[in-house]
Amino acid sequence: MRAAIAVKDLGKKFRRYHADRPQTIHEALLRGFRKLSAAEDFWGLKDVNFEVQKGRTLGIVGRNGAGKSTLLRLIGGVGRADTGTIQVNGRVNALLMLGAGFHPELTGRENALVNGVVGGLTRREVAERLDSIIAFSELDEYIDNPLHVYSTGMQMRLAFSIAIHSSPDILLIDEVLSVGDIAFQRKCMDRIEKIKAAGCTIVLVTHSVGEVADLCDDCMWLRAGRVEAYGSPSIVGSKYMAAADSETWSPLNDKSVTIPG
Amino acid sequence: MPFFLQKRYLNEESDSRQKSWVYERDLITALVARDFKVRYKRSFLGIAWSLLVPLAQLGVLYVVFNNMLRLNIPHFSSFLLTGILPWTWFQTSLMAASTTIVDNRELVKQVGFPVGVLPCVSILSQWVHFLLAMPILAGFLLADGFRPSLALLALPIVMIVQFFLSASAAYILATLQVRFRDTQYLLGIFLFLFFYVTPVFWDGSSLPPSYRTIINANPVAGLLNSYRRILMGGTWPDVRSLAAVVFISAVMSTGCFFLFLRSRDRFVEEL
Repeated sequence: MRAAIAVKDLGKKFRRYHADRPQTIHEALLRGFRKLSAAEDFWGLKDVNFEVQKGRTLGIVGRNGAGKSTLLRLIGGVGRADTGTIQVNGRVNALLMLGAGFHPELTGRENALVNGVVGGLTRREVAERLDSIIAFSELDEYIDNPLHVYSTGMQMRLAFSIAIHSSPDILLIDEVLSVGDIAFQRKCMDRIEKIKAAGCTIVLVTHSVGEVADLCDDCMWLRAGRVEAYGSPSIVGSKYMAAADSETWSPLNDKSVTIPG
Repeated sequence: MPFFLQKRYLNEESDSRQKSWVYERDLITALVARDFKVRYKRSFLGIAWSLLVPLAQLGVLYVVFNNMLRLNIPHFSSFLLTGILPWTWFQTSLMAASTTIVDNRELVKQVGFPVGVLPCVSILSQWVHFLLAMPILAGFLLADGFRPSLALLALPIVMIVQFFLSASAAYILATLQVRFRDTQYLLGIFLFLFFYVTPVFWDGSSLPPSYRTIINANPVAGLLNSYRRILMGGTWPDVRSLAAVVFISAVMSTGCFFLFLRSRDRFVEEL
């Protein structure tokens, strides 16, 4: 069977620029176009290899800056890899940046129409699902008010509800499950379980090892852009937790650090 | 479907190309509608704002060049407005397109979002305002005794050519603005100067022949002449001058689209 996502020898280089790199044409002219090119490159991701079979759920854990979000974006086709290949079979949708294109002056309904299309649906598809989107967000009373009267939680609920109503083959999720209150969170988790049961392939970036254990079939631990471990959620999760613990405590064990008192 | 509008990841199934074309059309429509609604809601005057600016420009230019300095152009108010409105569409399109990628950084970072639609959305949003001003233009033309003719059928073609010309500049401006944030200010200065060498308030046909070559090299002049021939002369536009505009746009756009495609994947890192 063809894998839903196949990542091979993936590498992503980032450019680090001079601190005083010219930001305007004016400055660039004055300096004779020097310091425009990158000062150095560094690998944000390197030698990443993995496959996700259709219908499986992969959890990605790792510290901030380990390359989790970069990897998710690359799978979604945002940006270009410097080495290796990414094969994606199916329609991809992402819960990465919820509410992209939301405008505070427009009503919830108007924003849902724009955001749904931005999220990959046609206008007809959004129109057909609009009632269901509004119902899921529990915002019926406010849906025709401008977005600036919404609380942050309400905006996120609307955004999540729109995102969840596109019917992707592959769903990318980046730490967005902490949306809204506990009841709404539970509703979101139920929904994701349902999407999963319907055969959708999911890649989930999270900091919560608990979430990985609950939702995922496999787990990948990214450390400084490389795959540190890949395997069953319980084993990789506990390895990651152990490493996180030791890294948290290491300054205290370090003899060069003196504790006052 | 134009190659620069393609989604970054096309599904392999054959029907998804068809779907993708519908999708891009819907996306452009939704974003143009968003621009329009936001503009309409934000101010008390709403749509009237977009009409007031060209009308104020018309008033000032009319008083200066008809009453104070006499240019002696017949039907001067109609002549001015047939120049001001397409010029305003051109100018505001480029201004809006230059900042569109920076302003819509959230969308650019969105999975599956075709960045290539953004400059087109800017031009189309401004085109809506151009269309809204058409009834006023019609009023002026009728008051000056001009009557609609069959040549009006050529009007959409001229507008398409103008869209093409604006697009060829819009993509490079949007790309430059990501890298150099003063592009929009330099563009403002450029457009301010460009306005005076474009026959918006003066008549190119009355110039000595040596200057006419300079005018012919200005693609916006070719457009304005076409609009005036259709609306005021009741004749078909000069095919050769329109073809020249298309040629200039094609040359510009080849380079621009190439640069845009090359830079597109780096936008996410630079925003």
